[in-house]
Amino acid sequence: MLEKQLQLIRSNNRIASTEIISQIITDFTEIHGDRVLGDDPAITTGIGFLSDIPVTILAVNRGKTMIEHQRFNGGQVRVSGYRKALRVVEAAEKFNRPVISLIDMPGADASVDSENHGQSQAIADLIDKMGALTVPNLALFVGEGHSGGALALSNANRILMLEAALFSVASPEAVAAIITTNDDVSEYLPMTSSQLEKIGINDETILENDRLIVNIKQALLKHIQELKLIPRDSLPMDRSDKFNRILATWNTGE
Amino acid sequence: MSHSPAKGTWNKCPFCHVHVNQLEWGFYKQCPHCHHYLRLTAQQRINQVVDKNSFKQLELNMTTLNQLKVPEYDDKLAKAKDKSGLTEAMVIGTAQIKSQRVMLGVMDTNFMMGTLNTTVGEIIKQLYFEAAKHKLPVVLFIASGGARMQEGIYSLLQMNTILNAKRNFDQSKQVSINVLTDPTMGGVSASFAFEGDFVIAEKYTQIGFAGRRVIETISTEKLPIEFQDADHLKQHGLLDDVIERSEMADYIGRILKLHQEESSC
Ligand SMILES: [Zn+2]
Repeated sequence: MLEKQLQLIRSNNRIASTEIISQIITDFTEIHGDRVLGDDPAITTGIGFLSDIPVTILAVNRGKTMIEHQRFNGGQVRVSGYRKALRVVEAAEKFNRPVISLIDMPGADASVDSENHGQSQAIADLIDKMGALTVPNLALFVGEGHSGGALALSNANRILMLEAALFSVASPEAVAAIITTNDDVSEYLPMTSSQLEKIGINDETILENDRLIVNIKQALLKHIQELKLIPRDSLPMDRSDKFNRILATWNTGE
Repeated sequence: MSHSPAKGTWNKCPFCHVHVNQLEWGFYKQCPHCHHYLRLTAQQRINQVVDKNSFKQLELNMTTLNQLKVPEYDDKLAKAKDKSGLTEAMVIGTAQIKSQRVMLGVMDTNFMMGTLNTTVGEIIKQLYFEAAKHKLPVVLFIASGGARMQEGIYSLLQMNTILNAKRNFDQSKQVSINVLTDPTMGGVSASFAFEGDFVIAEKYTQIGFAGRRVIETISTEKLPIEFQDADHLKQHGLLDDVIERSEMADYIGRILKLHQEESSC
């Protein structure tokens, strides 16, 4: 079952983050580069209007064709990508713009360059900044999102997931290799949209019917409008409360 | 926790494979041939860096449960407790280093490779909370293979919630010193390990996000021997310094002294 779902979300027919941008954001203006090292094509960052609200977008690209797949590194964001996201998020805070992440990434960029350029530091810095943001942030899982990189983009006030999307500590294949089971790893570890909705991580599952784009736009608007009612200084607390509530359901044996 | 080995026993250095007499490893557990260090237990680490008898462990009475009913996890936990003599992969408490009080946290690779789970995460959050409450500097000895898979997304969410606790601690304006020891990898490396006022490493430490073997299978080129080694990271500008084990207490003591409030000098 999980295998079928992986095929679906990894297929070239799966809606791409950039397609969502072009259909729900007007006046989208891309912002390139981390101003230090380069411009990572695996993540598109920029600003535009959602309805009449200016928003900041962080969108991971996986690629639909072989050429795109290569260009986007299959959605494995590199160090300069996290750095680009960080500076765009800092600007969002200055101009009081909500931040929307569109997540479709299989995991870390396992490469010599990413290690030598400080992948760990870049991910940690983005997790930290997203947690401290005094503007609302929302994450939408479009396909899969695994490990620290996905967490950096989803350390947010609200998390939304398309029906078939997955969010996990590591890719299902990597998890299976470590806990050595022939069962679907999702039988043990919650990672599907419905499982994560049950434990409070996923705030809303977005139905993948023929109104998908409308569903996405309406859900994002609804949550942004709710979050705009929270005083800016209280947004970090709202965010940490969300995650603390989830972790409070874990029995520590005390 | 620690027991002294019988006189005259030999073991093979895991790095140069030369047979070394137990006595030759010495107090700092350093190979006399290739100079690499053996990994330390939490207790050994504490003995090496804190002023004699100054460590007071903070007991938290938490037990790790296999809440997700993952196969073999109960067994692995039982074996880890047996092997390490600990209830989890981290020990915290107050201590003095060169006569200066600190909140100290030490991870132990003998407990499931020091992996980060709900309990370890909670212990680290407590460490930051206590340090802020008592206005103490934080010294963290990190050693971890990354997030513990058996607790899934609950392990992953330690990464962001620990950093929330760290930001609260930072408001106390106390210095934090993170010492990366072998190995510092994955979800630990990409969260609290690299978020400190000082991020240093013990010499010969492996540090990275993705594992060396994973990178090796994906990349076509052979990885150089120094890849992910502490000195290599320092050359790339990713660490404040790399310190020998025998110099560690002095180094930390000096940093603490440089951050003492003027009134207490
Ligand atoms: Zn040796």
